[in-house]
Amino acid sequence: MPVVELSYSRLQKLIGKVSKKQISESLPFLGLDIESEDKDLVRVEYSPNRPDYSTDFGISLGLQGLLGIKTGSVKLKIKKSNNYKINVKPTVSKIRPYVTGLVAKNGKIDDTIIKQFMTMQEDLHFGIGRKRKKSSIGIHDLDKIQFPLTYSTTNKNHKFIPLNESKELAISEILQKTEVGQEYGYVLGNSTIFPIIQDSKGETVSFPPIINAAITTVTPKTKNIFVEVTGVNKADAEDMLSIVAIILQAAGFTLESVSISGAKNSTPKFESRKLSVAPSLINQSLGLDLNNSKIISSLKKSRLDASVKGKNIECIIPSYRFDIFGPMDLVEEAALGYGIEKLTPTLSPSETLGAIHPVSSKLKSLSLTMVGLGYLEALNSSLTSKRILYEMTNREPKKTISVLDSKSQEHTILRDSILPGLLENLSRNIHSAYPQQMFETGTVFLNDKPIKEQTNFAAVSAHKDANFTEIKSILQSALKTGFNLTLETKTSSHEAFEKGKTASVVVNGKTVGIIGQINSKTIENYKIRVPVVGFEIYLSGLIFD
Amino acid sequence: MSQVFHEIEKKIISVLQKESNLTPEKLENLTQLSADQVRRGIEWLRLKEIAIVNESKIVNISLGKNGLEAYEKGLPEKRLLDLVKNKPKQISELQKQLGSVFGPAMGLAKKNNWIQSKGNKISIIKFPSPFPGEKILKQIGSGTVSKNEIDQKELSVLLKRPEFLIETTTKTREVSLSENAKTLDFSKSESGAIDVEAKAPEVHVARTHPLKDTIDEIREIFVTLGFTEVFGNLAQPSFWNFDALFTPQDHPARELQDTFYLDGLSAKQIGNAEQIRKVSESHKKSWRYYWDINEARKMVLRTHTTCITIKHLAENKPDVARVFSLGRVFRNEKVSYKHLVEFNQIEGVVVGPGANLRNLMGIQREFYKRIGLNKVKFWPTFFPYTEPSLQTMVYNERLGKWVELFGMGIFRQEVTKPLGINKPVLAWGGGIERIAMLKYGLDDVREFYNNDLGWLRSATKCQ
Repeated sequence: MPVVELSYSRLQKLIGKVSKKQISESLPFLGLDIESEDKDLVRVEYSPNRPDYSTDFGISLGLQGLLGIKTGSVKLKIKKSNNYKINVKPTVSKIRPYVTGLVAKNGKIDDTIIKQFMTMQEDLHFGIGRKRKKSSIGIHDLDKIQFPLTYSTTNKNHKFIPLNESKELAISEILQKTEVGQEYGYVLGNSTIFPIIQDSKGETVSFPPIINAAITTVTPKTKNIFVEVTGVNKADAEDMLSIVAIILQAAGFTLESVSISGAKNSTPKFESRKLSVAPSLINQSLGLDLNNSKIISSLKKSRLDASVKGKNIECIIPSYRFDIFGPMDLVEEAALGYGIEKLTPTLSPSETLGAIHPVSSKLKSLSLTMVGLGYLEALNSSLTSKRILYEMTNREPKKTISVLDSKSQEHTILRDSILPGLLENLSRNIHSAYPQQMFETGTVFLNDKPIKEQTNFAAVSAHKDANFTEIKSILQSALKTGFNLTLETKTSSHEAFEKGKTASVVVNGKTVGIIGQINSKTIENYKIRVPVVGFEIYLSGLIFD
Repeated sequence: MSQVFHEIEKKIISVLQKESNLTPEKLENLTQLSADQVRRGIEWLRLKEIAIVNESKIVNISLGKNGLEAYEKGLPEKRLLDLVKNKPKQISELQKQLGSVFGPAMGLAKKNNWIQSKGNKISIIKFPSPFPGEKILKQIGSGTVSKNEIDQKELSVLLKRPEFLIETTTKTREVSLSENAKTLDFSKSESGAIDVEAKAPEVHVARTHPLKDTIDEIREIFVTLGFTEVFGNLAQPSFWNFDALFTPQDHPARELQDTFYLDGLSAKQIGNAEQIRKVSESHKKSWRYYWDINEARKMVLRTHTTCITIKHLAENKPDVARVFSLGRVFRNEKVSYKHLVEFNQIEGVVVGPGANLRNLMGIQREFYKRIGLNKVKFWPTFFPYTEPSLQTMVYNERLGKWVELFGMGIFRQEVTKPLGINKPVLAWGGGIERIAMLKYGLDDVREFYNNDLGWLRSATKCQ
């Protein structure tokens, strides 16, 4: 989950009369987990569904509500302006069809605010922007731009000075040589045309979704800001813009509209929505019995407007709360506003009777039987490596089932057998006292259109006198005592077992596994210094379906 | 003091009662025991405070290369004086006869005024008898003598001379009896008695795996709370692991870097036509993107057990139910002390008239109480498929801080409606290893899968 760094003193200034303690106690109840604290600084994790919490401005609005300092919805005030226009050319429809934007004036900008904007931008790009694929933002110094702007496409030779560079680069160079180009160029695929925003003098403003022009960089001297969002669908681009809008307004800027026209684009309306919820749904879901006025005041503490409308409560959802899909989201908003700490747990009698799954019961019986026979239970991962599964036991890797892009070399393929893991365990315990006797039950994976899962049971016994008869006695006793099954052993062979001391395990005329002495080559591979005997059988179809 | 003695101990005590301060070697002779038996016997008696062992150092002196030559041929200065005793001799002749020792012999003789030189001739002044050092040279001879037995003044003379003497230090142990042991009488102790206070050798218990014990305990608690266990496969089509749980196909959690996709494996059958149609519509409406059935077919190792319970609900659509699923889940993580690629999760659902958030919190609190965790609180959180969502915070006494355990919430209607589930469904769940770590006091989650016999044989079963 994304993390944002906050300062208590800044929050106090933004929120109004509130103590540091009140803030730190309230943060978790807004859904913000405190990750670390250091005097005035506090780092909190926020949920990806609340991108408005990516800055302290957004968090302050939430805390004001929760603490009852300011409640009800935050209204976006956007002055209609005719000074700012973007004309969209039809060619963008093939690559990144939508643009939207707004202007924010007369704000105070310092390094802290720039830092907050940058984390906001990054988090929006990663989360709702889906790594800039769906939508991306550019924040510019308004006074460096001559309106009207044109959103159109260009070719790979188009040149401008991009952010953080000192000389002109062609689009192709930006994509190949710069870090952002390499990271986000994938969004544009193999296109030969590239989206570009230029001002009335033909100066490049932005090459979305990759990089802005250096000339429009926001600095502490910047007074007025221009924000543009481009994307593959209009609604997502406008959602992202509404987050930026509410944060800029909370940061003290005056907002003005940018009119957009051409190629199915239009000026964003930042409209709030109406959504109704039945008070009974809230009370039933939460296990409370709140009257309407309490529900309304709780919703207002979650910074929504609410009023009684017939049998329901109607909420006004500001445009930046696009995380609210339906009535259940309003149930949550009411719960948060009411205060999660005030929800006391209750325990009502169960309407159902519980039961353990028969497979669990049988596996537990088997474990207890093996423990009675002196075997210790081991647990290994089902994801393992070719080395352990095949190389060490001299088996041919047949059709292995692998996972893609594992971060761990030791976990790349799914096991088709438990025994190699147990031998690996013996290998790691050669300095512990003998005899060593271990067993494991668990899932193995087999190729079968697409995959078949089966429960296997394996055991090993390692000590200086380990022999075939001993391990046969153990398996025989486990199956007889546990499941009244009788086994036979028939001469057989296996890559990991000693020739002449290997048998297949047959129960009711069906071969269910292998038993015998592990051969010296395998033992040497594992660096084990005593004889080892063992078996592996499948249980699926034998003691359960 | 234990009054029961081993035969070895008895033999050693009887010998020491007759003669004190014996070395182990002498004890071997007198008791007719082997060196090893004597060593063990002394150790047992020392622990019982019957025997007192004095360790001391002895420095021995033997002759070095030059010392041995002087012992055989006489001290160089004596050989020089012998040659000039009767009449003065030419220096060159003396050099010839004495060879390499001529220099040191001349130096010493001149320093002590035993000789004088006139021109190139040497004549005698005084012939000392005996020469300093001569006595101990004879005393040591070709053997070894303890430093204490040698005249210290003479010794210091020869110690200064190069390669005359070799000092070797050896440690010796001498054993004697403590005061009350000197009068011990074995004839009075009962025959056949053994040392009941002695340590017994360790035997290693066979046992179920500690993590399995916790899994069983948790399973049984939820069964007593009215829940029925359901099973399902570890490998699942993305449809049930993600799509059915309202996780959009372009969501970061679905990327290769977080989820294990099975190379080249896709499911032919992922659900019935209506389920697929309605789930895809729900995604398109809420998340505004192109929903691709091929993405939903891709096989993954389940990232949570919720895919099992949601499938169970979709297939059975119960009006009243308490169901849980417990088992391995997978995340493509870097393995560390707090992360595994494969771990256990339990996750359950409640359907019925009493299905509300406070009741869900009550079930959770009851579970924690039964597992021995009494200090719990609830915080709001976010999960893509529940709304509202809470997480349990449990106070860890050992670490002195709150740790996050199970998550819970009410399934979103965007999850339940497309699958034809019309009743509200409470869901809860979380990792089991975290709870087991609290129980066994572990700081490294990998310990559960190391199968280290040292730990498995020693971890206390009931904590």
